[in-house]
Amino acid sequence: MHYKKLPKEFLEEFINRLRKWGEVHAPQKKGKNTYFFSRLDDPSKVQIDYTRTVIPPTKKYVLRPVEPLMLFHGDRAEEHTLRTTKLVLFGVHACDINALKILDRVYLSEPRDPYYEIRRKNIVIIGISCMPDDYCFCKSMGTDYAMSGFDLFLHELRDGYLIRVGSPMGHEITWNISDILEEVSEEDIEYLKKFEKQRLSSFKRHVDISAMPDILDLAYNSRVWERYSERCLGCGNCTLVCPTCRCFETYDVWLSVNTSMRVRRYDSCFMVSHGLVAGGHNFRPTRLDRFRHRYYCKSYFDPIHGINCVGCGRCDEFCPAGIKHIEVLNEVIGEIYGR
Amino acid sequence: MGDNLKNTYLGAPARVLEVENLTSIEKLYTLRFLDNDINNKFNFIPGQFVMFNVPGIGEFPVSICSSPTRTGYLQLCIRRAGRVTKYVHENIVEGSIVYIRGPYGNGFPLEEMKNSPIVLVAGGLGMAPLRSILLYHLDTQHFSDLYLFYGVRNYELMLFKREIRTLLRGYYNVHVYLSFEDIDRGARELIRLYRKSIVRGMVTDALEVLRGSVPFEESYAVMCGPPVMYKFVVKKLLDLKVRPDRIYMTLERRMKCGIGKCGHCIVGTSTSIKYVCLDGPVFTYWDVLSTKGLIE
Repeated sequence: MHYKKLPKEFLEEFINRLRKWGEVHAPQKKGKNTYFFSRLDDPSKVQIDYTRTVIPPTKKYVLRPVEPLMLFHGDRAEEHTLRTTKLVLFGVHACDINALKILDRVYLSEPRDPYYEIRRKNIVIIGISCMPDDYCFCKSMGTDYAMSGFDLFLHELRDGYLIRVGSPMGHEITWNISDILEEVSEEDIEYLKKFEKQRLSSFKRHVDISAMPDILDLAYNSRVWERYSERCLGCGNCTLVCPTCRCFETYDVWLSVNTSMRVRRYDSCFMVSHGLVAGGHNFRPTRLDRFRHRYYCKSYFDPIHGINCVGCGRCDEFCPAGIKHIEVLNEVIGEIYGR
Repeated sequence: MGDNLKNTYLGAPARVLEVENLTSIEKLYTLRFLDNDINNKFNFIPGQFVMFNVPGIGEFPVSICSSPTRTGYLQLCIRRAGRVTKYVHENIVEGSIVYIRGPYGNGFPLEEMKNSPIVLVAGGLGMAPLRSILLYHLDTQHFSDLYLFYGVRNYELMLFKREIRTLLRGYYNVHVYLSFEDIDRGARELIRLYRKSIVRGMVTDALEVLRGSVPFEESYAVMCGPPVMYKFVVKKLLDLKVRPDRIYMTLERRMKCGIGKCGHCIVGTSTSIKYVCLDGPVFTYWDVLSTKGLIE
């Protein structure tokens, strides 16, 4: 890894210089405690200490909530042409970077999703270190630190930021702005160590994942699923804000008498239609089925890539029924231990 | 065309050459791609499926029911089951243009099954993907013997009547057994002609009747049918001493992409997530044991 240091007084300058590589999008505040990623016109508006955005930035910019796929004129079809802008996402947290790697695995495996691929190629990712709040459980999921998947990663120091350079694009950026960068000092390294130690000890929520996949599988008929699914409203909020949930539904829209458009939109496995097939058979007919399905999908242990959940805490914070992902997991795990 | 998109979600235009009414709710569509290059290159394995894309209406997955040995065209058996297939039945006629993409999925492991006896167990519309194997065998004599067990509610709803009646007359190493739940006129006629090949009841009843006369222990078994059927047929096949690793089934799920992106066909639990479109639609009995929810 290549390291650099950005002094604090140059932060705004740094953001402004980033515009050379694309439109800068960064976390900003909306309302009292809500953060969202959007275009940053005034670098002083950036919320560098934000907790989490509602919609994960990584998902928002590679998978649009609604997007046209193709146009039909009678029998003739043409693919929708993407207007892509180069984007610089400034201030992405480690969990979201790791989540993007999971999305990449899905959408960039053959056959690649062309819409995703084009957007993905045009995104520069600048990560930033963070302190966990009450909802974070990324440490348990092993996604609290990004080792790859970013171009630059900023670590907070007393008087600046330690920059990890993670890609050739990152090198290009640091090379071009070397006049505002410094070398990392011994003192900075000491601060980083201290920061990391404090960060690791600040997590309030934990789940032990080593045997979790098997224990959850064995607990297929656990009463815990039932109890929580009765509390669940089935609204699909958790899937909407999840950085690794990426189901989509397609439908056709008529624009005129002979022109129509195939569109895709986010879908949620909490919707009744998710497992429904023509003829009326539903493979996940009850809320219990759908509730459990999401937990299984998120907790799936991929032999190579690990677990599908990155512990960002969004589904906990934004659940209107107050269901906490990690509490459900711990309760299911606990139940089977106790039996 | 889009700048650098590759038609991943569109497919290639194909013309409907022929539409045949199989039953009151199923039609057989014969299609050919407009681009001759694609016709020449399009190759598939029995058990694979395509996405059938009707501009402005929607898209659905459908298994291929013709054989890869018969090139230049593609046959799809479509039941009027939902919104899009209703439109297809009513509006897609000879000469219509639709878009086809695929083939997707894994298909049946035919090489592994070569020269062994095979038992096909079909229920209702499940006959469609199995017809691909049947035709493949007729063209290549791939298996030592082929036993088809086809369970259907009544004769009226039976698919591929002409072909099956021809095979009922006896054809070298192809043996056909039918089961009808209701005996209607056509079924009565078949019983009169081929008493030994027709059973009244479910397809499992037909399998039971043939216990002893079919070499189940050496056979591969392949099944397809409505979701409720699998559990009972698997149980019966195990009871008839078919080896667990030789039991194959092809499954149905909601699909919007066919290429492992849209997430609808995901099944399984924390230890085993499977995409029916990528890892299937053909699964083994071992898959069923290790993946909860694969069959009901």
